[in-house]
Amino acid sequence: METDRTSRSSVSWQRGSYRGRSGRRRKRKRKPWGERIADWIRTLIAFLFSNVGIVCLVVGYTIAGAFLFIYIEGKISLDVAGDVIKLRNSTAADLWELTSKENVFSEKLWKEKVRNILEDYQTTIVSSIKNGYNGMKETKWTFAGAFLYSLTVITTIGYGNICPKTKWGKVATIVYAIIGMPLFLLYLSNIGDILARSFKWTYARCCLCKCRRRPYDAASARASEISNDPAAKRDRWPQIVSTYGEEIDTSSLNVEETLPRDDDNGEVNGSDGDDEDDDDESDSYDPQHVTVPLTLCLAIMVGYIWGGAFLFSTWEDWNMLDGSYFCFVSLSTIGFGDIVPGEEIYSGHAFDLSFIMCSMYLMLGKFYIYVYDASPFIICM
Amino acid sequence: MPRGISMRSSLRSRDSSSTSTGVDPRERVKDCCRKLVAFMCTQVGVGGLVVGYAIVGAFGFISIESQVNQTVCVQDDTRREYANELWLRTASNQSVNVFNQTAFYVVSNSILQRYQENITGRKQQKLNCNGLAPQDVWTFPAALMFCLSVFTMIGYGSLVPKTQWGKGATVIYAVLGIPLYVLYFLNMGKVFAQTFKWLYTQLHECTGQRKPGQRIIVPSTACLWVIFGYIIVGSIIFAEWEGWDYLDSTYFCVTSLCKIGMGDLVPGWSHSTEDSQTKLIINFVYMLLGMGLIAMCYNLMKEEVYVKARELKEQLNQVMDTIHYKLITCCKSEPTD
Repeated sequence: METDRTSRSSVSWQRGSYRGRSGRRRKRKRKPWGERIADWIRTLIAFLFSNVGIVCLVVGYTIAGAFLFIYIEGKISLDVAGDVIKLRNSTAADLWELTSKENVFSEKLWKEKVRNILEDYQTTIVSSIKNGYNGMKETKWTFAGAFLYSLTVITTIGYGNICPKTKWGKVATIVYAIIGMPLFLLYLSNIGDILARSFKWTYARCCLCKCRRRPYDAASARASEISNDPAAKRDRWPQIVSTYGEEIDTSSLNVEETLPRDDDNGEVNGSDGDDEDDDDESDSYDPQHVTVPLTLCLAIMVGYIWGGAFLFSTWEDWNMLDGSYFCFVSLSTIGFGDIVPGEEIYSGHAFDLSFIMCSMYLMLGKFYIYVYDASPFIICM
Repeated sequence: MPRGISMRSSLRSRDSSSTSTGVDPRERVKDCCRKLVAFMCTQVGVGGLVVGYAIVGAFGFISIESQVNQTVCVQDDTRREYANELWLRTASNQSVNVFNQTAFYVVSNSILQRYQENITGRKQQKLNCNGLAPQDVWTFPAALMFCLSVFTMIGYGSLVPKTQWGKGATVIYAVLGIPLYVLYFLNMGKVFAQTFKWLYTQLHECTGQRKPGQRIIVPSTACLWVIFGYIIVGSIIFAEWEGWDYLDSTYFCVTSLCKIGMGDLVPGWSHSTEDSQTKLIINFVYMLLGMGLIAMCYNLMKEEVYVKARELKEQLNQVMDTIHYKLITCCKSEPTD
């Protein structure tokens, strides 16, 4: 993962440098400062894009899955609901038949026969419930419901409160899971990595600032030549970007001054190596010197679960225990599905707040789990 | 991880070569035995720990959940009630003429609808209306499966704790159990991977394709075939037992091994006879072994996938760079010209 990140960042940097230089050639004499800012912004966008791209991929995959499952499963549920109504009518007809033909005045006999009819009726209804009938006329496979279903499949939570009933739905679930889970893992490792790094960085800034001066500070001292204000240090990414920006500027200026124009490829590679070294230094520094204590991670986890419990208990009339039980079961990907928020999610009012919050909670929660996962492993290695 | 494995295998091979040339066979046998015992202690120890943890958890949950006297509703009673109501509202009611068909239809249809909603609601809430007390539901194999589904994060949800204490205990049990399971997963993965690698090497030696100094990497397709075979075997077993069709049981196996665990299909959960209890136990073993196999594949494929992904990424980067360069040169040439 480390090398992944370095190579990616170096690539994004490289791209930035290409663009930056071409930009400079065009408007070098006009604005050196605006140019520099534009450079930073461009690098920032390139950085964001690599991660945002994955987020978009996952979200797009989930939406595609939602439409797929609606297409496969939606029709059949409606059919089943229609069948149930027909069944009720036919049972009423049976009852009428019974009353009109048999002796109405013997209560015992009549009740015996009605009970038989009711038993048949019950078994048919139970079997139709197993086939996806849920007591409502509309299907559970609304867009929101199907979206949550796809999400629970690729995150391997699997509540099971709605599940595919048709053959094609099952096949689609298998294929969807096999493709989706690696994708989600990729996404998780990417975003979780960023989250873990930023968390670590924040921790290092907040708690270990006064302890000792670290190599990272030495590295970033160069960057702070441009932006001396301490406020810039508060965020890590702009800072790194600014470091890059500085180096881009100096190295490419050197290139401009010393070399003819056609040779810039090699020089870019050279400065690329230089930059990678820098990145490596900061990377190797991070896990080795700043180990976020496990208790803090646990505290954050517990806090996250409690926050979720509080949120859900205010919405859903659960008590705190039920809420935290639900949050825990969801975040640990156990997913019993005995308590699931938002019946209204499945009943057709798509895109209400509860639905969005629920999916956001699940997606973000996975990052926290990842952070929690990652830190002990980093300590081990 | 891969580096560790390769180092260990190389160490072992050097060891075996030195002993084969050196001291007497008794020492060698002793050495082998010692190694075997150490190996069993570490790896099987973890396996035993997991199984023991599951058993302890099963007893704990049985004792917690059986304490409560839940109201057990019986479908029979409800049916009788509704039949009674039908009688009262139609045949014995003076206002409803028995010879008026539409009136009869309206009344009986509304009663039937209420009956149906009653049943549906109960099914949805997963209340146990089969007349079984919690003591009957929480049999030992069922509780064992519940524990397994908690700490492997499958979470079938076909059997869930209903009491407050049960829920709290589930949370604590999962917090303690999941790291243990992860340990088991990593350990078993290593063991299975080594065994599989050894088997693969032996096969190579048998066919005589192997040159002496060659290091053999198990191809990832082989791992995939193993998993595929395991799923097929499982789906055949469950299909034969449960009378499911093959698609259903394949669906069950895949969703279980992927830890999704929908819980709409669970073998031997519906009725607690002796037969279904053995099924649950075998399901338990199947799941644990399957997780180990998946860990093995993860272990074996990690290296290869990593290398391939890096190659792909480099190729992609090159392509992107060339495109970029071309684009930039195009853009550059445009304004100047």
